[in-house]
Formats: sequence, C-alpha cells, structure tokens
Amino acid sequence: MGFFSALDISASGLTAQRFRMDTITQNVANINTTRTENGTPYRRKAVIFEEKSLNKPFSEYLSESSSERLVGKGVRVARVVEDQSPFKRVYDPGNPEADEEGYVLMPNVDLVTEMVNMISATRAYEANVTVMNATKSMALKALEIGK
Amino acid sequence: MIDKIYGSSRIIEKSLDACWLREEVISQNIANYDTPGYKRKTVSFEEYLGEALDSKNRKNVNVDKIDIKVEEDHSNLSMRLDGNNVDIDSEMSSLAKNSIKYNVLIQSLNAGFSRFKTVITEGRR
Repeated sequence: MGFFSALDISASGLTAQRFRMDTITQNVANINTTRTENGTPYRRKAVIFEEKSLNKPFSEYLSESSSERLVGKGVRVARVVEDQSPFKRVYDPGNPEADEEGYVLMPNVDLVTEMVNMISATRAYEANVTVMNATKSMALKALEIGK
Repeated sequence: MIDKIYGSSRIIEKSLDACWLREEVISQNIANYDTPGYKRKTVSFEEYLGEALDSKNRKNVNVDKIDIKVEEDHSNLSMRLDGNNVDIDSEMSSLAKNSIKYNVLIQSLNAGFSRFKTVITEGRR
C-alpha cells in the first residue's frame, strides 16, 4: 500500500478532467468553424475515460499485491472521439461556404451541451480536489501518532 | 500488561490501514466518476473485525488474519445510462466519514500511548 497512491489517484482524476475541459474549450472555440484540414466543418470532439491499469498482462497481474490490484491506479483518457452526428444545415446564402441552394454546413457543436459538460467537468474537478485535501489532512494527521 | 496495550494498538493500526485503503478506494471512485462502465468499489473490514472480536477466543485474536477486502459493487446497476454506478454524494459523505474515523483512531492510539507514558513516569510529568 503506497502512502501516496491515493494522492496519485486524485491527481489522475484532476488531469483527466482538465483534459476534458480542454476538449470542451476546443469545441466551443470552433463552434463556427466551417472548414478544417480535411475540408469538412469542425466535428465535435468527445473524451472517453477508462480506469487505469486493470487490463494488465497476466504475469504482471499476479505479481501485484491484491489491494493494489483491486483499487486500481486512477483514471486516464482512453481516446478522443469525433461526434459523428450530422452537421447543422443553416440557410446563409451570403456565406462564401454556401452551396448552390444557399445552405452552409455548420459544426455539430451544441453550445448548451458544451456548457453542461463544462459544469460537470468543473464539479468533478472540485470533487477530486476535495478528496486530495482530505487525503492530505489524513496523511498529516498520521504524523501526530505518538506525539 | 504491555501485551494488552500493544494488542489493542495493533487492532487500531489495522483499522488505520483499512481506513487508508478506503480513502484510496474513494479517490478511485471519484476519479472515475465519468468513466463509462466503471463500477464503484467498497472496502469491507469492520464486519470481519466484529466477527473476530465476537468469536469465543477473543483473548488471542490474530490481527494479521483479519481481512481487508476490496470489492466491486454491482448492486445499483441501473443508476446511470453509461453503466457507471458512482454516486458522488454518497462518495463525498463516506469520504467525510472516513477522515473523521481516521482522526478518531489516531486520537485513541495517542490516548493509549499517553496512558502508557503516565504509568512509566509514575504519574509525574
């Protein structure tokens, strides 16, 4: 049982939520981007998390202590996926990107969804900070044994 | 006498270990609050400790043999659409509970030591 592994777990949570926040920022910043490198409008990016280090090779799995194996080591970003939902079609004939009928394909970013996700990420970040502080005060309390 | 003092402090030590492990498990649960398919984990120790202390030969309880187990909780599977069953409120309250318990354990450990110290110094300071 590592004494600081609880802190490491919280830190991994903080990193993951910050990464999610970065992605949300990218989505909101590109809410009107009609042209990306591959020619399509911007596609909304979403982050997928996974629990860290539970799918290990069998040989390593046996060599770890049982509590370490079961608690896990936090969370990590598995991958960033692009949202494949259809683009919004907006009638805007004055736009240079418009097709013959005057419609422009806009990114599939929904501002409300992004805001909700942002709040969720903030709260999750705060929760991890709270746990980290609790762990820290517990660790400091342990120094008082025998005083 | 000394055996007795160390006997109870060993139980407290073991409980502190369990508390620390629970702290790790709670951090893990909260860190994985947004992980699809993650199932929350729990630590069971108090029930095993209670069993050991209730048994007939409680005079010589082998503290090292008491289990501290980490288990996955599959009880409320349908709470969220993504298959994750972490409830942030219950995790936060068990976090608070756990730190208070840790502090209590340390206080009682220290109380035991200071009683011991009083005996050694014959009540003088």
